[in-house]
Amino acid sequence: MTGLDPLPLSGRQPRAVRSALAVLEEVVAAGPGVTAKEISAALKLPQATTYRLLNLLVGEEYLVRLPDLRGFALGRRAARLALPVVTTPPTAARAVVEHLRGLVRWGVHLASFTTGQVALVDPDPDHPPAEPTLIARYPHASALGKLLLADQPDWRAVSRDLRRFTEHTVVDAVALDRQLTAVAATGLARQCGELRPDRGCLAVPVRGPGTGALVAGLALAGPPDRVAEPNEELVALLREHAERLSPLLA
Amino acid sequence: MRNGALAGLRRRSPVHGLDRRNLRPVEVLAQSVSTAAPAAGMATVPAIVATTAGTATVWSFVLATAVALAVGACIATFTRRMAAAGSLYSLTAKGLGPGAAFACGAALLAGYAVLLMAALAGAALYTDAFLTRLGLAAPPAVGAATVVVLAALAGGLVLRGVRVSARIVLAVEAVSITVMLVIFGVLLAGPPAPPAPAAATPGWSLVGVAAGVLPALGAFIGFEAATALGVEARKPFVSVPRAVLGTAGLVGLLSLLAAHTQVVGFAGALGGQPEPVVTLAAAHGTPWLAVLLDLGIATSFVACTLATTNALVRVLFSMARDRIVPRPMGATHGRYRTPHVAIAVAVPVGAAVPAALFLAGVPGLTVLRGLLSVATAGYLVAYLLVALAAPLFLHRIGELTPAPVVVTALAVPVLAGVCGVFVVSALGGAVPIVLGALVLAALAWYAVLRVRRPRELAAIGVYDEPSAADVHTASGPAGRAR
Repeated sequence: MTGLDPLPLSGRQPRAVRSALAVLEEVVAAGPGVTAKEISAALKLPQATTYRLLNLLVGEEYLVRLPDLRGFALGRRAARLALPVVTTPPTAARAVVEHLRGLVRWGVHLASFTTGQVALVDPDPDHPPAEPTLIARYPHASALGKLLLADQPDWRAVSRDLRRFTEHTVVDAVALDRQLTAVAATGLARQCGELRPDRGCLAVPVRGPGTGALVAGLALAGPPDRVAEPNEELVALLREHAERLSPLLA
Repeated sequence: MRNGALAGLRRRSPVHGLDRRNLRPVEVLAQSVSTAAPAAGMATVPAIVATTAGTATVWSFVLATAVALAVGACIATFTRRMAAAGSLYSLTAKGLGPGAAFACGAALLAGYAVLLMAALAGAALYTDAFLTRLGLAAPPAVGAATVVVLAALAGGLVLRGVRVSARIVLAVEAVSITVMLVIFGVLLAGPPAPPAPAAATPGWSLVGVAAGVLPALGAFIGFEAATALGVEARKPFVSVPRAVLGTAGLVGLLSLLAAHTQVVGFAGALGGQPEPVVTLAAAHGTPWLAVLLDLGIATSFVACTLATTNALVRVLFSMARDRIVPRPMGATHGRYRTPHVAIAVAVPVGAAVPAALFLAGVPGLTVLRGLLSVATAGYLVAYLLVALAAPLFLHRIGELTPAPVVVTALAVPVLAGVCGVFVVSALGGAVPIVLGALVLAALAWYAVLRVRRPRELAAIGVYDEPSAADVHTASGPAGRAR
């Protein structure tokens, strides 16, 4: 691997880097579906150069080729070039979460999934979660993360590093796959001491009305042995509040 | 107009179920190198080329390398833009349409299936030769048993997951190439000790060089096999084209080294030598090299068995997802993420043919040569079609430049010529009968599909389309926006 070696820019390379960035900008400006010919014409770049740059950017997953193989769009990796925009939930939504906090003695957290990651947008001030960055990076070990993974067409593409945090962390891909199938079927995710031995969590999805798209997750955090119980009344309460959040967040 | 561009995105890839984006570049490369089995080729192919090319053997290999690189460039045209599991079959569909893609698929299926049979036969044959040199002669039934055991082992490893089989292929192939480099290093370093010429061989002639290209290309077949791992490679658009072109270059270099060593060693009388490297080793005063050689060839064939099975089942898998072979073959194993039904169908068939031939008492070398001839025919047709498809594909997606047209214009006539030479050279043996039967079977299959599944046939060419989750839009991955 030469990743750490100093990489001198020489000859025509600075121009190539500038052109590659210009191609990225042009795809954003023109919108998904723009073709190689259109990009080449817009940037006044030679066609062969444009095609080579496009293939390079597709190879590195900054761009994707759309199914017709002609058009381009921004790839998932391009999301890393900008800070994810996490919007504060509207006051009405926060009021619903606050209402639930008044009914239970557990920590109540609201997370947004619109950035493709678990982003805690309304963590419980009285029971602050200790590891928001870990939850975002290792979704397999948290209940909110499991909701996100269960909604993916292929969770393996999103979560590659199944890190072990405690003896309860599910790190076997097959076992996790089975668990996520159950989460998708029941709409309830549960973890008992998988991220921290002394903390467990129950989470239910908040889906957009009509579309059914996953937009957020509502979670209850408490002692792992209590989380492991059926908790039917708590779950019903959680689902009821998730239902009320749906028109406010989608 | 552009707003509709994302409407066609699927929620999940049509080739879902495979272990997506998980193979390292070196494992992808090993798949191609092993299917081409350079160690076995280094020991056997130069002598076959020399029967027609004589002292110009090295030039035939230079030409064959150029052809392989040109075909590799055509394949790279596709693999830089799409990731498929169906190898050249899925690629041809995007350039030439369903009829030609079907022909390419049938040819490639025959190529991989028969290469699997040949690799199994070769592994059994050279294991047997290895044991014989150690003084343990075995009856033909042992050869058949070796084939069955090896096939079961290969099937199990290929089922166990693409990473497991790729790593074993890499290790085994590294051993066989190292062994060959040691052998040829020893032979080149020593003083030339020409043994008595076995037969008169032709001198340098342009016709000889041209006629030698066909057997020389035999050393390359399978170099495109990394294409079948497009879905499973970590960065498919980078690592697959590199693996295919790198293999063409590597096999070319190794073959040139082998051809040069042998031509020099025999002082021009290489043609028709049954075991040239063994004879050279004996003349050189290092008979232990013969034992090492058999070991190297046997391991090369073992790696080839695994790698070819990997490629074969992924072509079957893609055809099943295209609905042109029975649908269950497109199923994948929940735990191992490999096409397990296709493996269960392909491996027994691949083992049965060489095992039956061994049991029937057909000499091992005849089995191996016959099978390799049939496989070569399949590959030549597939290479010809994919080379034709490349510029048409680029034209269709509006990215045509002059270079690919030039490459195709050079490669296609040579390949067509080589195909012609092949047909003429094979006349009179059992090979044309087998090929004829295969062509008839493919035509019948095509006719059935035309009548019963015209819609599916028109839409063949499944590949790993970007799904909604792969596209970044203002509101996150596109799937969430809907």
